[in-house]
Amino acid sequence: MNKVTLFQARRIVTMDAFQPHATHVAVQNGKIVAVGDAQCADRWGQDVVRDDRLRDAVLMPGFVEGHAHLMAGGIWRYTYVGYHDRIDPDSRAWPGLTSALEVTDRLRAQHSLLPAEQPLVAWGFDPVFLKGERLNRHHLDQVSPDRPIAVLFSNLHLMCVNSAALALVGYGIETLVEGVVKDADDFPTGELQEMAAMFPLMRRLGVDFRNLAQTEDSLHAFGRLAVQAGVTTMTDLFSTLTDDDLTLMQDVTSAQDYPLRIVPVLGATGGLPEEIAARVKTLAEHNSDKLRFGAVKLLTDGSIQGWTARVRAPGYVGGQPNGLWNIPPAQIHDLCDVMQREGIQMHLHANGDEASEVCIDAIEAALRKHPAPVDHRHVIQHGQMMDEAQFRRCAELGMVVNLFANHLWYFGDQHVALTIGDERANRMDACRSALDSGLVLAIHSDAPVTPLGPLFTAWCAVNRQTMTGRVLGQEQRLTVAEALYALTLGAAKTLKMEHEVGSITVGKIADFAVLGKDPEQVAPEALCDIPVLGTVASGKVFLT
Amino acid sequence: MRDRRLPMTVIGGFLGAGKTTLINQLLRQPQGQRLMVLVNDFGAINIDAALIESAGADMLSLTNGCVCCTMGGDLFMAIADVLDRHPRPDHLLVEASGVADPQKIANAAVAEPEMRNGGIVSVIDGENGSALLDDPQIADQVRGQISCANLIYVSKGKPGTEFLTTLKEIVPNAGFAHTAAEVTAFTELGQDLSVRVEKNAPHPAYVQWSATDDAQFDAKGLRQALMNRPTGILRIKGFVRGAGATGWLVQGVGRSIDITSIPQPQETQLLAIGLKENLNTENCHTWWRDALRRHDELSLED
Ligand SMILES: [Zn+2]
Repeated sequence: MNKVTLFQARRIVTMDAFQPHATHVAVQNGKIVAVGDAQCADRWGQDVVRDDRLRDAVLMPGFVEGHAHLMAGGIWRYTYVGYHDRIDPDSRAWPGLTSALEVTDRLRAQHSLLPAEQPLVAWGFDPVFLKGERLNRHHLDQVSPDRPIAVLFSNLHLMCVNSAALALVGYGIETLVEGVVKDADDFPTGELQEMAAMFPLMRRLGVDFRNLAQTEDSLHAFGRLAVQAGVTTMTDLFSTLTDDDLTLMQDVTSAQDYPLRIVPVLGATGGLPEEIAARVKTLAEHNSDKLRFGAVKLLTDGSIQGWTARVRAPGYVGGQPNGLWNIPPAQIHDLCDVMQREGIQMHLHANGDEASEVCIDAIEAALRKHPAPVDHRHVIQHGQMMDEAQFRRCAELGMVVNLFANHLWYFGDQHVALTIGDERANRMDACRSALDSGLVLAIHSDAPVTPLGPLFTAWCAVNRQTMTGRVLGQEQRLTVAEALYALTLGAAKTLKMEHEVGSITVGKIADFAVLGKDPEQVAPEALCDIPVLGTVASGKVFLT
Repeated sequence: MRDRRLPMTVIGGFLGAGKTTLINQLLRQPQGQRLMVLVNDFGAINIDAALIESAGADMLSLTNGCVCCTMGGDLFMAIADVLDRHPRPDHLLVEASGVADPQKIANAAVAEPEMRNGGIVSVIDGENGSALLDDPQIADQVRGQISCANLIYVSKGKPGTEFLTTLKEIVPNAGFAHTAAEVTAFTELGQDLSVRVEKNAPHPAYVQWSATDDAQFDAKGLRQALMNRPTGILRIKGFVRGAGATGWLVQGVGRSIDITSIPQPQETQLLAIGLKENLNTENCHTWWRDALRRHDELSLED
């Protein structure tokens, strides 16, 4: 029999209603065997090892991020030049940059570190937040006239490059290509829009988005990001999952010191619904402690801030045409029908309210034909414009929701001014309505779209503040307790894992978030400032 | 003289329009070229065993020289992989996903110096296609897919008069093809730029026009002349004499035109094809004669 480890903490917030608080938790073989005070492990015999490393910390159940992407780890191979502060997987802080000048300063610093033959690639740039002249090749030429430089925008649909990079493709005054932006003298400004214009450069620079997800480095970086954020279970919510990817993920996650339970959710694309269902069933045969297959993701519409989400009347306030389907309604119905019939859980990306409506319709139709499984727990992901009527239908149908609380802070002001106007922006990501309708609720970061950080996500759902300090619909605020539940048991339920993770309960996996302060005792406005010291994953301690 | 750039033709069309059926037929056509096809769903490719030379998990090689591959998660990077293959295929066909805007894919061939735009073929279900245009949830997206087509391939039956009128309103200059052979004829206007070798008759649905003379153009004048070409021309190619040591390679599909500088050719040669119902070669003669005359006049003024 393996030894029992007794962790002592300043306080343990268990999220288990039957025993909400404790000071000690005992772990054996990666599972929780006792929760309580200093004596709680006594009945497990004399062979108890005391671990005092966490005695000054506050423990919570390891956070569950129900909507993130593996790329959140891999993208850090490039230099971060975004507006918001971020922390990389190696715990280095990257302050946000507020002008083109600051961007070139950071690039210059990186330039001096790189070997001569390597291009300089940066990511996370977002001109929406910057004042002054738009970033162009002249700025980047000051960093280096010789080394190709490419600055990827945060949405990955645009980039800005220097003259050396333009020359690699031969983009110049003669170029007549959609997406190669020209200046008054008919010369490319350096900005390239959309993949068609970007891809000739990307292939010459060796920038391949496929390599940002399923690589050993990306998987390890993903794990380190999780430790920093207190996350012990995280989705990769649109996995490609070739046989090679599967082998790699098995290799990496089976190592004792891998700190994260990954839930790769297969993207429903590139095949008939029956083929996708068969693939996910095959994958599920390979499930292990740290790797959980079994669900599929449907990417139904686009994004609200990109005006590609499918929205109901009255549509976008700027008069933009309605968005685009990535899967058209008839196909959503087909997929829902087959997945429900086959008992496969679905995560349905739906940003706009027309998209969420179609998803709910499709699931209702599928349930009429195939009432079992009753506990299908299909998840609307994002659900940013869902109203009470849609939530009520979801509740009645046994669906659950994972709302994009981080959006309120990052894009809230833009939604008011540019996309859907204040009335609808005020009830975006309507967490309160979801709970009041009786739904299981999770909230998410969609990392790397916004940074991984469940306590920040909780802060967003509790405060509903935008970057300019405006409060969007205070009626939709969650209490701190509700937000903490959403990060733990709520999110675990959306992954059908609440019997294993989400609370500090005897029998569950010993996954903890190790915090510097007690989220129940700080002011609600200070939730996002709580230091995360690391995690315990399957009983193993990972400190940042 | 050969144009060494890889031509890419995009096969677009809404889900269920019949793209896969067309691709299956195209792969079976006797090929004068090594065709490579990138598809979304490998499982739907259904080729007689007798035609298959070798089959892997995501690649199928046929005895006629064609290769069929899945594009995986990233279409553009899959195109980049094709460019890195040795030897490169003669022609790349890309099956756009059922919701993709084919133009956004075709733009890649315009942007990439090692490729050229081989046009867009939009597949339309002749029987049920018009219902899509009446569905407010998807009409705009379907319309977008049709509006960028150079050639409309009608699968499954014949569109009614009303549907046909709507299609012609959405995309006035596109030709209509009814057989896979007609699509092949469109994509196949070969790599070889010598007009003479193409003197043999084109596919019966098409007519062709060619000109050989010693006309000289500067890039701007040539672009202007080609912009005014008869709308029934689906593809135009050839080379044109310039000034001094430089001449021009011309590749046009639909209304787009690509002019690249090359070493001065011996003579100016152009070849155009269009569907019989849309192209009157008389108009081509008139257009080219006028273009030459206008250009001469401009040159005299300089
Ligand atoms: Zn996402």
